[in-house]
Amino acid sequence: MAICDRRKTINRGALEENILAIIDASEAKDSQDAHDDRIAFLEAVRATSIVSESRTQPSYKICQAVFKILRIEKSLELIITSYQLLNELDKCFPRVYLSGIDQLESTNKHMTELVVVKEAWSPFIFSLEIASSERGAAKDAEGLLDSSGFLILIQYLADVADENTFQSCDTKSLGKMLLFQYLVNILEGDFIPRKTMYEETTNWILLRESLLNMLLVSRKINFKSLMKDCLTIMCKLYQICIGFSDDVVCPDNSVSKSTKKCDVAVEITSLEVGKNTSIAVRKLLNMIMELDTCKNKADAQGCTTRADGVRTPLVEIILDELTYNNDILQPFLQVFDDPKLKLEVVEQYFWKYISKPSVRTRRSNGSADDTTFIGALKCFSNVTSTRSIIKKIGTEEAQLLLVHGFQAYLSVPSRQYPDEDNSHGNPESRSSSVIDICKNMISAFKSLRTAAEHMEILLCSKEALFMAATILSVNS
Amino acid sequence: MDDRLDFEIEDPLLTSPVVAKKRKKVIGLDDLLTDFYKEKNKLVEKEAKKAKALKNYHSDEEEDIKEASLSKLVDECQNQITEIDADEDSFVWGMQVFGDQKSPPPLVCPELKSCGLLQSFMSNKLNSLVELSTENGNSFLEGLLVDGWLSKLAFTCGHVEESVLIWTFNLMLYSPKEELRISACDFWCAILSSKEEDDLQPVKITWIPSYAELKGALEVYGFLFNFLPHPDATLTDSGREGPAQNIRAWIKFVTVSCHVRSKLSMFSTSDAAELVEVIICLFLDRKLQGLMLLLYDCMQSVINYFKDKEWKACCEEIAKSVACRVPKDLNCLRIVECISGVDTRSKQLRSAVAYQILLSCFDYKVADEEILRLLISINVKEKGCDLVKMYIYLVLTENWLCSNELLADKPVLNEMWNLYLRNCSCLIASTDLRPFASKVRNKASYFLQGSIQT
Repeated sequence: MAICDRRKTINRGALEENILAIIDASEAKDSQDAHDDRIAFLEAVRATSIVSESRTQPSYKICQAVFKILRIEKSLELIITSYQLLNELDKCFPRVYLSGIDQLESTNKHMTELVVVKEAWSPFIFSLEIASSERGAAKDAEGLLDSSGFLILIQYLADVADENTFQSCDTKSLGKMLLFQYLVNILEGDFIPRKTMYEETTNWILLRESLLNMLLVSRKINFKSLMKDCLTIMCKLYQICIGFSDDVVCPDNSVSKSTKKCDVAVEITSLEVGKNTSIAVRKLLNMIMELDTCKNKADAQGCTTRADGVRTPLVEIILDELTYNNDILQPFLQVFDDPKLKLEVVEQYFWKYISKPSVRTRRSNGSADDTTFIGALKCFSNVTSTRSIIKKIGTEEAQLLLVHGFQAYLSVPSRQYPDEDNSHGNPESRSSSVIDICKNMISAFKSLRTAAEHMEILLCSKEALFMAATILSVNS
Repeated sequence: MDDRLDFEIEDPLLTSPVVAKKRKKVIGLDDLLTDFYKEKNKLVEKEAKKAKALKNYHSDEEEDIKEASLSKLVDECQNQITEIDADEDSFVWGMQVFGDQKSPPPLVCPELKSCGLLQSFMSNKLNSLVELSTENGNSFLEGLLVDGWLSKLAFTCGHVEESVLIWTFNLMLYSPKEELRISACDFWCAILSSKEEDDLQPVKITWIPSYAELKGALEVYGFLFNFLPHPDATLTDSGREGPAQNIRAWIKFVTVSCHVRSKLSMFSTSDAAELVEVIICLFLDRKLQGLMLLLYDCMQSVINYFKDKEWKACCEEIAKSVACRVPKDLNCLRIVECISGVDTRSKQLRSAVAYQILLSCFDYKVADEEILRLLISINVKEKGCDLVKMYIYLVLTENWLCSNELLADKPVLNEMWNLYLRNCSCLIASTDLRPFASKVRNKASYFLQGSIQT
């Protein structure tokens, strides 16, 4: 048995060397041959690790080589193929996953366990120890990203997310955008099972050791400016992609017809990749907000230590940015569409400016739910308080917040919504609260109109009012 | 006694001869060629300069003749170089899958009068705030779509009017504005897949697009159902060469509509089979190579659209029809490789397509083992042997045999396969300078290594 096993591993080693040999000879060249070899290499890795009936996990060196292709190649075909392969490998051989163990059949108790494959290759490297334990050679760590590498990537993307740069988008920027998407996928694949497990066990260490947390706690990066860059990328890329129209670009195209064939491929791809990059940034921000929530909880339970450090919660950074950089309020609310988190941002924005009832009165009232969106809506119920709010927030901003808060509220699945007083997911109470919200929305806009007579009602507000009226008429 | 000692087994040199062999490759054919033509070019340029210089001093007839012959030589060289470039180009996959785009049908916005949703609101008291009127009805509807309200309205009302459905469907396929086509695509995906979620009430869809409509859209994008051999063959200058950017929405829509067969059966079996073929063709357009991920998903989704009993026959049909259409060059390898092979069905399809292409390569005169027998009989050492074809046969055969567990069932096939591989890997010298010689050799020895180990 032992010999058999050993032979198997030796065979695997030989197989690996064979696969690596495909790109060995053409390492430095930039010819069609070298390109073909790299494609053949990716095909071979895919064949042994994904298509084959007996899927073998690719070795560290192979993963490294595939990753290198995504990182440095300039050919669209290679970039896309390596990106696809890396994601497929991730799906087949996850680094972190939950495994269910049926502990006792009689009790029907289901135990889940978090499995972390420590020796698996990862594009992130956060400490030198990991580098030295993995095959020692420093060369292996080449191209892996630590926090500062991630920061540089984000800064690069922030430059790409400019209208003029994006129009002359080349394969290099496409490659960087795909690299970023891959990294976010890795962070997500690591974070989600950990968070699920955390919710069950409240063991903060699971999340402390998550890649996302390790990436963000590093002193090498300025968290605030990193997040600001992320917000810029998310909003700008989205706007650029959405604003694209075939008619506008066509005349420009005919000028540079010589390079047309290649350009068309990049152009078709860039819109898709640009949009997905914006979505990937959104995913990243969502994860960070959820990490913040968990950390707050852990803080309250006294599970965190000084080693965890202090980081400004992302919501605060977002609120600052939205307040001081008014231009991005509208695109931000449009892109950032996780309803629960959007609602949180809207609520916090409102309650930053609405003068809260003094602590004493609130206590005596006993109602702690005032800082919700519903609470904010109620503040718009009379003209006087509406006037005082729009003095601070501005009519346009107030409209945007109301509309997007309303939309987010409608989108939160009833299951997820933390009810104030009734049982979870009770459909009847849910629909009655939706009706209340609709009525409040309409009255809020009526008082807005009275408070500011010359206010222009935004198109999106009209749509929201239309929605509210339709819901009311359906339910009446 | 024959058993090697433990440490010998571990010696990497013994276990992987290929590595050593491959490293010996010193200079590739390409390098030699480029060097050769570089030198030749230089020489020609020098001559031309000399001639020019001479011309300044003498202006006899003799010089003129010399010059003429020289410039002729230059022209010849130029031609040769472009010819060689063209030759190299044909070693790259790619087809002209799209011709000129046709003008799309007009995008008719539903009339306010016919749209009950808007009509009923006009009498609402709230309209003093919303100010909906016959003039701004269109832009209002577009706004509802773009801001995502339209799908929410659909879930609230439990149905969508036919006029709205047709309007959004056409926007998705034909609107030149990214914002509108993406939102329309999202809207359709939302209402189609809504039925799977328990939270929302299912939406009654009163109008279901047919396959003919999707096919029509492809025609508008310029899709050539009988595509042309080479991308450069008819490069049009009209600037209207397809596909339109809407192709992305088209692909996404097909993906989602195939997912929901259990709820909404949109295509007949033959439609779906044609869809698989169309998607395979899309893989051949270099302009779409960036959309590979979308295409992969789409293909996976369409393949799984079939019911089990339909699949077997359809798989064969698709393979046959694809094999007839595709040219027998590197494009057919691209086709085989674009079939993902992640699950049983796509493995079956991959194997079937490879097999059918092989059959058509040999004009359907041989089948099964005879193919291998024929391949073995080809003398790769002979000068006239077309190694490009050899390379194509090699990869096709590997896909035919290995993606479908055929080798395990038939030991004869396995033996012949190994013999063929040995022919290709051992009989071609590493110094062979014919095009594709090193590619055939390397590929064969790589496959050989793999087949011995398993």
